[in-house]
Amino acid sequence: MSSDFYNISILPYAGIIIKLCRAYTDSQEDFEDYYQEVCLQIWRSKERFREESQWSTWVYRIALNVCLTLLKKDKKNKNHFVSDTLVAEQTEDSHAFSDESLNVLYDAIRQLSEIDRAVIMLYLEEKSQKEIAEIIGTNPNNIGVRVKRIKTRLKKIVDGKIN
Amino acid sequence: MEKSIEDIWKEGFLKTDALIAPKINKLYSQKSIHVIDKFKRMFKINLIAIVAFSFIFLIVSFFIGIPITGVIFFVTLSVLVFINKKLLNDLEKIDLGVSSYQYLKAFNQWKNKQIAINKRMSKFLYPIIFISMILGFWFKDAEGIPLGERLVNEIRIGFPDVYLVYGIPLIGIISVILILVLLAFFGGQIYKWDLNIVYGRVFKKLEELMTDIESLRS
Repeated sequence: MSSDFYNISILPYAGIIIKLCRAYTDSQEDFEDYYQEVCLQIWRSKERFREESQWSTWVYRIALNVCLTLLKKDKKNKNHFVSDTLVAEQTEDSHAFSDESLNVLYDAIRQLSEIDRAVIMLYLEEKSQKEIAEIIGTNPNNIGVRVKRIKTRLKKIVDGKIN
Repeated sequence: MEKSIEDIWKEGFLKTDALIAPKINKLYSQKSIHVIDKFKRMFKINLIAIVAFSFIFLIVSFFIGIPITGVIFFVTLSVLVFINKKLLNDLEKIDLGVSSYQYLKAFNQWKNKQIAINKRMSKFLYPIIFISMILGFWFKDAEGIPLGERLVNEIRIGFPDVYLVYGIPLIGIISVILILVLLAFFGGQIYKWDLNIVYGRVFKKLEELMTDIESLRS
């Protein structure tokens, strides 16, 4: 990895990595671990990048796969230790952002299934249905319907909390 | 008025400073540990494979009638594995608590020592393996007499004037000695070539990592 690799190839996409990692974690510590692991995996996988897709798509895909893998591992571990810590962590990250509505939206997003979280995050990042499908590895025709369904669910949760 | 999901998202990230990337100070140490762990795994697998191969070959050699080759192979490779296992133990002693740069430096020193020792051993290893094959097949039973003797008898029928030293054609002795010398001379090079095939990618990554950290330190 060149010394500029992080600055040139990762940092411009840090926004989406941060947003994705926040959606899959419920504490600052986990968030930083996920972020670090995503960066590490991007570095490890860079030689496999074949330029068949855009670098940004590649980064999103790795970020998503890492988050899903870590989440699966964490779930396994947390099943053994269902404790007060989990509740405390959830509360802690409910205030990760200074905007209260955004915190409520993130809490709602965390209630979605892993894939629905990815779909809505990419939709909110204004990715096209084709790009979302490409990143997630699904049929683009299903994305529109899925987004609509997720938005309805999110709206219901968010409105219920804000009002 | 109620905001849409899209508006909450956009406005939220306009206001917030939450998009500041966390520091990735542990990235280099994680990468160093990852690369070195990969090397350790490969090295251990390699040693296990050598032990398994030498053991299986020892058994097979008795069945196919070349026990001398099998025994020499087994002893030589056991010595090789023993020395490398000792070297691996030294590698495990490298302190994980030091900085990535020091960790990589320590690994590099270990790697250079390991390569130097193995390079020296290879000057003997390849000739020993070659001579064990010659001896194994020479003494292999061929209808009551050793295969080597039978071969010499057949050569003598075709070339009655062939010069023998202790019953072995001189040309054969010279050829074997020549090959042994070549193997001893190029043993180190053969080992490095072999090493590059197995660990080339890992070593390249380590070099890149070192260069990277050094450029960050300068």
